[in-house]
Amino acid sequence: MTKYLYKISLLLILTFATSSCTEQYVFQNTDFESALVVEGTITNELKNQVIRVSQVYQLEETGPRLEKGANVFISDDKGNEYQFEEKDTIYSSITPFKAEPGRKYQLKIRTSAGKNYTSDEQVLTTETKIDNVTATVENVNGQRGVQINVNSFDPANTSKYYRYEYAETYKIIAPRWYFQETNTVTIPAQPGNPIEGTPPSPQQEVILVTPRTKETRVCFSTKKSDAIILNNTSGLSEDRVHFPVRFISDQNYIISHRYSILVKQYVQNLAAYTFYKTLRDLSTSGGVLSPKQPGFFYGNIKSVENPEEKVIGFFEVSSVSTERIYFNYADLFPKEALPPYYESDCEPEEFKDCIGDLPCKGSILRSFIRTKARVLFSWNYDDLYFMVKTPCGDCTSFSSNIVPPFWVD
Amino acid sequence: MKKITLILFLIAFQQIIYSQVISDKISVDFKNANIKTAIQDIEKVSYYKFYFDEKWFDNDSTSITKQYKEVKIGEVLEDVFQNTSFNFYISENKVIVTNNSVIYSQLADDYFGIPLERDENGQITPIFYQQYDSIKKTNSRNPNKNIRDLVLIGKEVKNQKKKSTYTLSGFIKGGKNNSGLANIVVKIPNSEFSAVTDKKGFYSLQVPGGLNVVETESFSYNKVTKNIMVYNDGSLNLSLTDNINQLDEVLIKTNKSKSAKSAITGVTTIDSEGIKNVPLVLGERDILKVALTMPGIKTAGEGSAGFNVRGGKEDQNLFLLDHATLYNPSHFFGFFTALNPYTTKKVDIYKGSIPAEFGGRLSSVFDISSKSGNVNEFQGEGGIGPVTSNLMVSTPIVKGKSSLVAGGRATYSDYILKSLDDENLKNSQASFYDLILKYNHKINASNDIESTLYYSHDKFSVSSDSLYKYSNRLATLKWNHTFNEKNKGSLIVTNSEYKFNIDYESEGVNNFDFGYKINETQAMIKMNYLYNEKHKFSYGISTKLYSVDPGYLNPKNPETTLVPVDVETEKGLESAAYIGDNFKISDKFLLDFGLRYSTFAALGKSTQRIYEENQPISDATVIDTKTYGNNEVIKRYGGLEPRVAARYFITDDFSVRASYDKTYQYIHLLSNNTTQSPTDIWKLSDLNVKPESAQQVSLGLYKNLKGGDIEFSVEGYYKRSKNILDYKVGAELLLNENIETELLQGEGKAYGVEFLVKKQVGKLNGWLGYTYSRSLIKLDSQFNEEKVNNGKYFPSNFDKPHDFSAVLNYKITKRYSFSSNFTYQTGRPITYPIGRYDYGNAQYTVYSDRNKFRIPDYLRLDIGLNIEGNHKIKKLAHSFWNISVYNVLGRNNPYSVFFVTDKGQIKAYKTSIFSIPIPSITYNFKF
Repeated sequence: MTKYLYKISLLLILTFATSSCTEQYVFQNTDFESALVVEGTITNELKNQVIRVSQVYQLEETGPRLEKGANVFISDDKGNEYQFEEKDTIYSSITPFKAEPGRKYQLKIRTSAGKNYTSDEQVLTTETKIDNVTATVENVNGQRGVQINVNSFDPANTSKYYRYEYAETYKIIAPRWYFQETNTVTIPAQPGNPIEGTPPSPQQEVILVTPRTKETRVCFSTKKSDAIILNNTSGLSEDRVHFPVRFISDQNYIISHRYSILVKQYVQNLAAYTFYKTLRDLSTSGGVLSPKQPGFFYGNIKSVENPEEKVIGFFEVSSVSTERIYFNYADLFPKEALPPYYESDCEPEEFKDCIGDLPCKGSILRSFIRTKARVLFSWNYDDLYFMVKTPCGDCTSFSSNIVPPFWVD
Repeated sequence: MKKITLILFLIAFQQIIYSQVISDKISVDFKNANIKTAIQDIEKVSYYKFYFDEKWFDNDSTSITKQYKEVKIGEVLEDVFQNTSFNFYISENKVIVTNNSVIYSQLADDYFGIPLERDENGQITPIFYQQYDSIKKTNSRNPNKNIRDLVLIGKEVKNQKKKSTYTLSGFIKGGKNNSGLANIVVKIPNSEFSAVTDKKGFYSLQVPGGLNVVETESFSYNKVTKNIMVYNDGSLNLSLTDNINQLDEVLIKTNKSKSAKSAITGVTTIDSEGIKNVPLVLGERDILKVALTMPGIKTAGEGSAGFNVRGGKEDQNLFLLDHATLYNPSHFFGFFTALNPYTTKKVDIYKGSIPAEFGGRLSSVFDISSKSGNVNEFQGEGGIGPVTSNLMVSTPIVKGKSSLVAGGRATYSDYILKSLDDENLKNSQASFYDLILKYNHKINASNDIESTLYYSHDKFSVSSDSLYKYSNRLATLKWNHTFNEKNKGSLIVTNSEYKFNIDYESEGVNNFDFGYKINETQAMIKMNYLYNEKHKFSYGISTKLYSVDPGYLNPKNPETTLVPVDVETEKGLESAAYIGDNFKISDKFLLDFGLRYSTFAALGKSTQRIYEENQPISDATVIDTKTYGNNEVIKRYGGLEPRVAARYFITDDFSVRASYDKTYQYIHLLSNNTTQSPTDIWKLSDLNVKPESAQQVSLGLYKNLKGGDIEFSVEGYYKRSKNILDYKVGAELLLNENIETELLQGEGKAYGVEFLVKKQVGKLNGWLGYTYSRSLIKLDSQFNEEKVNNGKYFPSNFDKPHDFSAVLNYKITKRYSFSSNFTYQTGRPITYPIGRYDYGNAQYTVYSDRNKFRIPDYLRLDIGLNIEGNHKIKKLAHSFWNISVYNVLGRNNPYSVFFVTDKGQIKAYKTSIFSIPIPSITYNFKF
């Protein structure tokens, strides 16, 4: 709407030969209120559970304000207390533990400023396991690709609300990899030696071709889901999940070779589900016609001293189930050409290493090598170099050459 | 007339002198005879000769079929003249017919000083002929030309029982169209006898018998004074001429007569004729814009389409154009009102007590009536302004009986846009027009019909890829019937449609066509019953069928990824019955009591979700889906709506009024923009969306100074409403098949005090209004997601506590007048982003509490100069120029404040629409 109001006023300017103006409006965050942000999902996995505690930061700031020095612990109705300790950006339980069914858990935080916060009591949700995760080639909204579906079933019909996270890991092979690489070396200026009869030489930059010493052909990238993925089965007669958690276009390079996805299914209660849904709805932009209603919304954490203090976040005790699958491009798309690579333009370009007018490209070549904008694809062992854009020959420029520990080829 | 009566008198006296006895029995046979033919028949069969003025019988509707055999002529004539205003006097073979008067054949008893006869009330029986004599004398000496003829009212009946008062009724017509004039006071000066004309110009006045002076009182029309001789109940029609001297004045009338006489609070009448000098943007005369200068009526922002009346939402106002609902009364986002200023007669705004005949909206009724045409001559009026031009013509169809008014308005902005060089704007569009036709036909004295057809259309594109269109269409048919002097009724049938459409066409494949439509058909009967002087009843029934097509989205390109959507049609039937009594307990104390019962049935065919009880309504809590067949009742709602108002005169010019009102609303406008936009959608109540209701109490004090030249009023109100619609955080409304999951229904609370000072006459005139008001809403629930601002009351989108406006006119000479318009308002509330946080693997924005902040205050001054053409009444066209400057101070009043994320930073921007003074000149003419 705002965009369109702007347009309307623009229109009015010229239509009616009148004037309108849009100016930056002095809107100082003098009323900036900091608020505690708590993100806590305790699961039925035996591990060091993690709670994140931070503060709202101002619009002009770039990163989060971590809440340092807080006393974070979880208590249950059996009188157990699980203490958390600060580790870098998170609070991690000192001892590993897992949420037990039927127990009531409550998160308690005492900040370094002495303010106390508690969550509502939460009970572990139904432990519904993922039956399987499948990858199939499908057409979705006119686009062909791989649909990753999660299947699960709760015969008790009590799970109903699901949240998903995934981490995808995929193999990358640089298409124009070469066993040698280029570097520039500066030879300092040499004073002339009258005795040996050599004249003084100025400082020189020479191109050195050496064999590659580290893995740059095969890499692995891992990306976590950042969107909030939710599903509910409350409208269905059976609590059966067949949910597309991820869709990858057949033009996406990440499935070019071997792809793996780890899907986590959290079973939520209605309140947690609603919180995440609101969070998601508000962050996605509304239509032009009808913007989203903005506003503040609470989770289930309250200040003890001042119940009306703004606290953001939700503490949930959620059963989790994970499943990893692998597939190869050739299995799903036999005899099909690979999708375009990460860098679509991998055509080698010829450079003649000499100084002067074209076809000499010595200085630009050296500049490319120095800034690592191009890597070597082949050469004539003299002054003719064929170069490609760096990602085409070196996948570490955007990925990692470390093989993930879980990786199975 | 004077001469005829004089002759009659002379003849009468002659007859007394020469009277002889002859046979007075006749035999005659009437077959469907009227008076004239009856007289001719009698003349044929007897020696009697009749003396009369043939003109008297022009409108004669008598029909007699009877046989007489040797019956006394007197008896025959009694029959003939029964139920007419005629009397007769028989002298020998001459029959003298008189209109109204009785010819006395004897002198009055007290003619020679004998004590006066008194009637049962102890009053002196009028001696008519004596007074009549004296009037003539007075008249000849009186140079006042207003006192012209003596009008005889009613039929004098010899020896009748004298009543203390008689009913004088009739129509007051005037103006250019010679149509019925409403709100004209008819009174007997220096007495308590007064009445006000209704919408059709009809009045009914109790007058004492005998000689009286009746005069009219109005601001817009010249005073007319008539001498009347009252014999009995009778009629008097008057014709008024425009008050030329007051042409320059702004006449916003909380109509003096109405404000003084009626019991209801918070009613304002704005006369189209009276507002022409108020300076307005781009020189458009705009009746609804003037309404905004009255206390209690606001808009969310400059160029916002909706009105907020006494803290009510935009959708709580019922706009009626000749009884039919007008869904969107504005053009181009509210910059212009979609009513032709020349065909609009007036608007009555009920913001306090709403009479029982109206219903269906919580906050107000804007009852707009359009002008009826002149049945006698062709007339026209028009205006040429910088953006639009208007024209209205009125023509008789059957002279004296029926007329047609046609009005049209169009803008030439599209033409201007096309002539621009900028490629982007060249392809832009912004055009609108509206058309109106009104036909009225007087069938006879007790029947008339009128019909209005209206269409308005807007088309604009705010970006080169989408074209928006919206239109209103309405049609009305009204039949007025007078059963008798006490009972009148109207049958009204209306149909209204509002629709909008978005045509999106960009370079990609995702082109679509989106549309929305609402249609309503209504039938109602309104009756009035003048039971007696103390009780005036009004009653009626109405029923309305809604059909809403909540939206479709059709992809236009077969390769698109868009999925066609067609949201199920909604249907509903809203019906009501009402009765009201205007009970005059005493001269000082008036009670206006009304009771309305309204009911709404949501009808199938439909699929409705059933949600888990004691859980928030969301996709996640659906437990069942129920299907309803066509016209099957899904859910019925209803309730009693008492409307009570009372007025008490503490002194003659100081009155106090109080009222209590309850209203229900079954149809809701969904709009989460702060300002109303043409693409907001109306939604009917159904299984999951409850009707809204409101209760208002108000109290007002009214004081007139200097004989009514200056009026002061203070009105306070307190209003509570239930089930007011609002939206969950993150709600998205368009094309949502399960809209109830995004809605919240909360409680509203609004209160305020409105001050108004008006001066209607004099060189300096105008009004000042100030309002302090709050409008709050509470959205509370046991669930966090259904709670807004911790479940506490918070300011609504249009909560503007301070509102001051002044409209002042100064008449420099008869032809030149200067006018100004000043407005100040507190900035409206807004929700700001206040910070950010990281959650999961993403960044999110934190918003403040809903409506915690305010945009800057609004301040504007407009000035205008009006130049009249010369004041000769008879000339080809009457014209005047209006030169005005909008926003003289050039203040950047914010229209909207919005946020843009730029390089990871959120910046606030403020848009103003008219940030520099906007001059305009308009030429208006009448012919």
